[in-house]
Amino acid sequence: MPPVSEVQSAEIIGLLPRLRRFARALAGNSNDADDLVQIAIERALARCDQLRPGAPLVAWLFGIVRNAWIDEARARSRRARVFVPEELGEQIADPGAGAAHILSVRQALEQLPEEQREVIGLVLIEGLSYREAADIIGVPVGTLTSRLARGRAALQGLLGASEGDPA
Amino acid sequence: MKLSEEVLMAYVDGELDGAARDEVAGALATDPEAARWVHAQQALRRKLRADFEPVLSEPVPQRLRALVTNATSAGSAQVLAFPARNAPRRPWLQWGALAASFALGALVWQFTGRLDSTAPFTQQHGELLAAGNLARALDEQLAGGQPSSAAVQIGVSFLSRQGAYCRTFSVRGAANTSGLACHGTEGWAVQVLARAPAAQPQGPYRQAASELPPVVAQAVSETIAGEALDAAGEARARAAHWQAPR
Repeated sequence: MPPVSEVQSAEIIGLLPRLRRFARALAGNSNDADDLVQIAIERALARCDQLRPGAPLVAWLFGIVRNAWIDEARARSRRARVFVPEELGEQIADPGAGAAHILSVRQALEQLPEEQREVIGLVLIEGLSYREAADIIGVPVGTLTSRLARGRAALQGLLGASEGDPA
Repeated sequence: MKLSEEVLMAYVDGELDGAARDEVAGALATDPEAARWVHAQQALRRKLRADFEPVLSEPVPQRLRALVTNATSAGSAQVLAFPARNAPRRPWLQWGALAASFALGALVWQFTGRLDSTAPFTQQHGELLAAGNLARALDEQLAGGQPSSAAVQIGVSFLSRQGAYCRTFSVRGAANTSGLACHGTEGWAVQVLARAPAAQPQGPYRQAASELPPVVAQAVSETIAGEALDAAGEARARAAHWQAPR
């Protein structure tokens, strides 16, 4: 592992709260989110020589968190085919959790497809520009905005768009 | 709605520059439908941010910080040791070792951080306790005749100088760690944990004390009172639920 400079180390530590927030948006709960940050930091440290001087560290790190999450989600869906986790069983056993149930912001976010959730996380929660978010995800800005629009509409629908429906 | 959703969305997200922004702001005054849409989207944005804002002021887990700070010194110790309460401190039995061994710290974190009920470790009052399949193996598994496929292999069992039953163990899989745990009031307290040598054979093996990582073997030799238990002694200790004779 290449050594990390003191400056990079201080910068990464300064960004940990934001990485945790982004990871929370992706993973839902804090344990999984911190695991994700952990994995991402390990990867980042192993590859910090790939970071170009002057390149924005935050975007680079968000990208690593995001990619680690995709790997994790894939592994998860493989595992899910083998056994049904306990939590899921509980959800199935609760018939009250239907359409009439009012979802919290986080529950609503969890129901979105990954590709919409990550965009919502980067743009609406982290406040990145379309360009920055598109670069992190590796898609054209047009793709990003259409995912963002779909994610927004889905969230409004799930949260009960009482404040005005899109026409 | 005269303005496209695309433009309105860019407006809400601060993507428009001065002139374009002013133009949309002006148009909203005469387009109540668009204005309603914009307000709903601004409210959604605020709601999301407000919901996640508190994460920023949470204390960052020490393990995550340590991961970064330790990388600057490129320390890669392979040993993680835990202070047993009321036990005399030895140089290798100190939390200080934690900071020096981020690789293993990470490992333990991966286990203890998960909700997974099969995680082999749990933390309680600053002690690392065996949990899940590790705790079960320490409670029930005898060194003789344990299935070679078992995720946890038990090594030697013995009475410590403090008068507690202790057992060495190896956890297979990605973790591939070995350690020593002693039975106490809270369960099996992990005394020392080390990554098994990389050259360890992959196939099934019955662990003997000589195959333990040196630090675990050292911990055994410093902790053991007399000889290791034989099969009969081990079975008797299990029957007594690892409550040491007085």
